[in-house]
Amino acid sequence: MVRNLITKLEETFLSLLLVAMTLLVFAEVVMRFGFNSGIHWAQEMTLLLAAWFVLYGASYGIKVGAHIGVDVFVKLLPKNAHRFFTLVAIGLCLVYSGLLLYGSWIYLSKMKMIGIELEDMPIQKWMAMSILVIGFAMLIIRFLELGWKVLKHQTEGFGMHDEAEESMEIAKELKAMEEQERLEKERKDSDRGDRS
Amino acid sequence: MTTAALFIILFACMFMGMPIAIALGLSSVTTILLFSNDSLASVSLKFFEATSEHYTLLAIPFFILSSAFLSTGGVAKRLINFAVDSVGHVRGGLAMASVMACMLFAAVSGSSPATVAAIGTIVIAGMVRSGYPESFAAGVIANAGTLGILIPPSIVMLVYAAATEVSASRMFMAGFIPGLMMGGILMIAIYIAARIMKLPAEPFPGFRHLGKSFIIALGGLMLIIIVLGSIYGGIASPTEAAAVAAVYAYMVSVLGYRDIGPMKGIAWQNEGESAGSATIRNILQMLWAIPKSVRHPEVRKVILDATKVSLMLLFIIANAMLFAHVLTTERIPHQIAEVIVNWGLPAWGFLIVVNILLLIAGNFMEPSAIILIMAPILFPIATQLGIDPIHLGIIMVVNMEIGMLTPPVGLNLFVTAGITGKNMIWVIKACLPWLCLLLFFLILITYIPQISLFLPEYIDHLNGY
Amino acid sequence: APVEIKFSHVVAENTPKGQMANKFAELVAERLAGKVEVNVFPSSQLFGDNKVLEAMLLGDVQMAAPSLSKFQKYTKSLQLFDLPFLFKDIDAVERFQSSADGQKMLTSLESKGLVGLGYLHNGMKQLSASDPLKVPADASGKKFRIMTSDVLQAQFEAVDAVPLKKPFSEVFTLLQTKAIDGQENTWSNIFSKKFFEVQPFITESNHGVLDYMVVTSAEFWGGLDADLRSEIKAALDEAIAFGNGIAADKANSDKQAIIDSKRSEVIEISAEERALWVTAMKPVWAQFADEIGADLIKAAEASNQ
Ligand code: NA
Ligand code: NA
Repeated sequence: MVRNLITKLEETFLSLLLVAMTLLVFAEVVMRFGFNSGIHWAQEMTLLLAAWFVLYGASYGIKVGAHIGVDVFVKLLPKNAHRFFTLVAIGLCLVYSGLLLYGSWIYLSKMKMIGIELEDMPIQKWMAMSILVIGFAMLIIRFLELGWKVLKHQTEGFGMHDEAEESMEIAKELKAMEEQERLEKERKDSDRGDRS
Repeated sequence: MTTAALFIILFACMFMGMPIAIALGLSSVTTILLFSNDSLASVSLKFFEATSEHYTLLAIPFFILSSAFLSTGGVAKRLINFAVDSVGHVRGGLAMASVMACMLFAAVSGSSPATVAAIGTIVIAGMVRSGYPESFAAGVIANAGTLGILIPPSIVMLVYAAATEVSASRMFMAGFIPGLMMGGILMIAIYIAARIMKLPAEPFPGFRHLGKSFIIALGGLMLIIIVLGSIYGGIASPTEAAAVAAVYAYMVSVLGYRDIGPMKGIAWQNEGESAGSATIRNILQMLWAIPKSVRHPEVRKVILDATKVSLMLLFIIANAMLFAHVLTTERIPHQIAEVIVNWGLPAWGFLIVVNILLLIAGNFMEPSAIILIMAPILFPIATQLGIDPIHLGIIMVVNMEIGMLTPPVGLNLFVTAGITGKNMIWVIKACLPWLCLLLFFLILITYIPQISLFLPEYIDHLNGY
Repeated sequence: APVEIKFSHVVAENTPKGQMANKFAELVAERLAGKVEVNVFPSSQLFGDNKVLEAMLLGDVQMAAPSLSKFQKYTKSLQLFDLPFLFKDIDAVERFQSSADGQKMLTSLESKGLVGLGYLHNGMKQLSASDPLKVPADASGKKFRIMTSDVLQAQFEAVDAVPLKKPFSEVFTLLQTKAIDGQENTWSNIFSKKFFEVQPFITESNHGVLDYMVVTSAEFWGGLDADLRSEIKAALDEAIAFGNGIAADKANSDKQAIIDSKRSEVIEISAEERALWVTAMKPVWAQFADEIGADLIKAAEASNQ
């Protein structure tokens, strides 16, 4: 229940970031082409949104299996060996997130000490960049969760994103559409039959 | 030593099934810690720079979003109808029309598997009904679908532009003629096969009908004009054009075709409704539909799907930039270049090596990841041998197309298997003859740089360089 | 082991800044072999201009030379150099920079942990556009690309033009397609970035200066022993003089190359026309006088004599 709510919130947040970036850049074009003016903070804002999108999105991607990887080889292994390598890999992912979290912390502390603002918006730089720490901390949480799942035999691998599978959804949709059209046509034909 | 460490860690991590992004990042961080005196803080700084200072890269999520809206069904169908009405009456016409539909869809979308799914689902069944062998139909579509990344816009080209700082709009222009040519080669091959196999032709529907299906398809086709027109017509840069395309794709699919979203099922003109009142009704309903989209589950799902793909790609790119940073500061491409130059390889020999490397990599990995790892290494060597960076980019893209058709990891193979319900072996066999054509095409592209370079250079010429 | 100085910049090695950095590395290698080693990383190989100062504060880069506009969040006083029509030519800039006031400005970054070691010229800025600009009214309503700088924004707003911030990577395309009408830059940048190929008119306005400051971190600089510090500084001063010489030659030769290319028409403005520009843009000084310091502006203006 709570987990679902959190996932929903994360999804809404990330979708909003993507939409906001798109609309900001779109608005800039409209302003420039239509009104001969610009939005002086738009560029900095768009890029900042992009950073939050990627850095927060990385951990969400682990949770829902949105990342891609080469899992053809480990999938050939017996189940236990697969699980073992997945655990080692998760351990290494934790090392990665930990190192970058540590580096981000030092970096942000330094920026906080100097206390400079963003170029175009009156926001402290360290606050705008706080997503570095948040993002890598979230990654650690998601990897711990994933590791726990593997230990509990709930999953064997990272559950990689499959572009092929995603494209298949388009196929399913189209088939449903055709089916519906066929039914409608049949209905119309039979209507016409009734009338005659 | 450094080079070895970097690549051994990278491949070990990758083959353990770690997400490619993190394999790239971890191998870079480890190498930095072991062999240089850079601090972890500066690695984080570099990472933030990679995610927040590359405006051009934003074209990637924007085009993904626009493709996501256009892949929701209706657009593909209307493009297919138009294609069938235009070339269906030739012998083997339905197959040719399918290729044409793939080309049109490729011109509005940046992804290959999406092209196969969107076009293949309808036309493969259609071809079988009209008397084509199913393996013929499946092979044609799986191959023509690869055009998704060659005909602009193309996500893979944007990734290449990001990895090498080559201009994205020049890459797009360079893909145009090769894309048309490859579609042309497929169509000619189909015509020859159709003669031999005595494949059927469709009746010509008449110009009036053709005109009508063109106008209906125009909603989708307009996107081609928007993307190319705004880049070359002085309205927007590639990044901005991508954002415009995304907004337009939303409007076409939700407000125009109404296959998804809050206006689904609402007719443009009801029976017995006057044109005037229909216009007013539509305008009001559209204005009301825009805020309603925010909460509409179908619209939200499209955006979420685009979000997932975008963040996955951008996270790989950010880590790949860290990787490229290690490569350049350790002068690894320089060292590899020296070795290769010492072999005394001429440019054409180097290109053979490039093709073989890329074809092998294409067996296992996804195109964007391959480009991000290989481009920073190959690019400086190519420059030294006098190979045009744009030409190298197109060669890489065509190799990636082939990679989508080779086992064990071949996205188009998977999708084709999914659509037809056949097993992988059957699909691979079905694709094989057409794959040979693609290999022939690769040779053409590799050794006739003018195919790729003609258009960008011609446009430069028009602008007076 | 010798002290390592990583010098990170964002331009090619054959530019005045690139050659200055290489010269510095050479001089240090000659005179301080075994004690100090300078490694130059050109073309944003290490960091871009927006991040290099932060990397310096983290101790991962020891020297860099960003343009003076890049410091606006570190100190307000360096905005002085962005003011339009403050210096009549590069000699006036040089006079001011070597004066006591100019040298004092090198220390204005100290509270943020940075030390200025010297100024490096790029040159005087010119205005390029898709239409001829002779008087300020010609710029009215036109869109100009600017670097992030409040002063430059105010400068274009003063002539009713529209300043737009766009990343450098997109500028060429936007100018080429006329999505943006013009930009301001030095002769050498207009030439090396090929802007003259897509901008048919360049007005020789000399309305501003584009200079760099060579900086290092206070922590690194203070940690060196005094003898070494003065020897490094001497080598740097020599390298800067060398770089400035190249920059001056290049401003002339690049201007000539642009004229010879016939791709772009160079517009010379009369004294009266120039006076119109000055009248239109000079109010910007008052706008920033509080932040920069009115005395400093006066001192800078005095260097024109
Ligand atoms: Na495409
Ligand atoms: Na493959």
